[in-house]
Amino acid sequence: MNKRVAAILADVFRLRAGDVHPGLKKEDVGGWDSLTQMDLVMSVEREFDIELAIGDIVRLVSVADIIAVLKEKGVSLED
Amino acid sequence: MSRLKIDGAVALVTGAGRGLGFAIAGHLQGLGAKVVVCDRDREALSQLPSGLQGLPLDVTQLDQAKLVAGDIVAQHGRIDILVNNAGVIYSEPMVNIMNPAGIMHDYGRFRDALTANLDSVFIMTSAVVEQMVTKRTKGVIVNISSISAYGNEGQTAYAAAKAAVNAMTVTWAKELGRWGIRCNAVAPGFIGTESTRRALSDSILKHIESNTPLRRLGTAGEVAQAVASVIENDFINGAVLDVNGGLTI
Repeated sequence: MNKRVAAILADVFRLRAGDVHPGLKKEDVGGWDSLTQMDLVMSVEREFDIELAIGDIVRLVSVADIIAVLKEKGVSLED
Repeated sequence: MSRLKIDGAVALVTGAGRGLGFAIAGHLQGLGAKVVVCDRDREALSQLPSGLQGLPLDVTQLDQAKLVAGDIVAQHGRIDILVNNAGVIYSEPMVNIMNPAGIMHDYGRFRDALTANLDSVFIMTSAVVEQMVTKRTKGVIVNISSISAYGNEGQTAYAAAKAAVNAMTVTWAKELGRWGIRCNAVAPGFIGTESTRRALSDSILKHIESNTPLRRLGTAGEVAQAVASVIENDFINGAVLDVNGGLTI
């Protein structure tokens, strides 16, 4: 589990670090709605210095999807 | 953090065929923006000076608004600035004991005033923000409110619409900030435009002048300057900027 991604999720959705795991999905998080989705996007963009297209934004609905999109963007995810 | 510069920005100003909107459009153009002027008055659009692009639009029609927003993006690549200026000053007292047709404020005209001054702002913002979000444009929306938003006798519908515009401004500032889109309002007091002089008698205007600390009406240029200020300052978000010579203090 990438520490930077985990920290973003914990911060945006106010989760305890131990609750963020590779299998985490939108449905598992009570506060993951259309508004916090954009908080997530802004945090990801800022942390990794990228800009996401709408098509990517709507895909960010799980840890696996976030990792996949970041990889497609050429982001190195080695801790 | 990138800062929106008016120079080179693509701006859409509604109700800008004449009056206050025209002054705002001209001011933004003078600062280097590519300005699209929308108005339902085709004659006014036909008389625009060169450099201002005119597009006919009824801002109360969502399908038209979406078409126009799409056309502007197709032509210019994006919309950076939306100034929701279109509206109609409407005055009618809640009770008019002298009206033989009925002493109470007409409900149909109340709804019409809300459509012209409130629905129009929602419709245009919806059409333009859809484009901003899709293109990831970190744009600015400026709603032209009014001193009437504080409540103004004889203007139930207009005051209600402008107060609601202020509330939408704050709501959108909170919601759309995530997208890098800012939303502010500029609330003119009594400005010496043709529409103000049509709506208010000379004696009322004199009374307003004498109650304004600066002892005069404002100018359209001063409102346009305020619009440019809230566009250019990248940390102003959710503000309702009074431009009224101190009348409300």
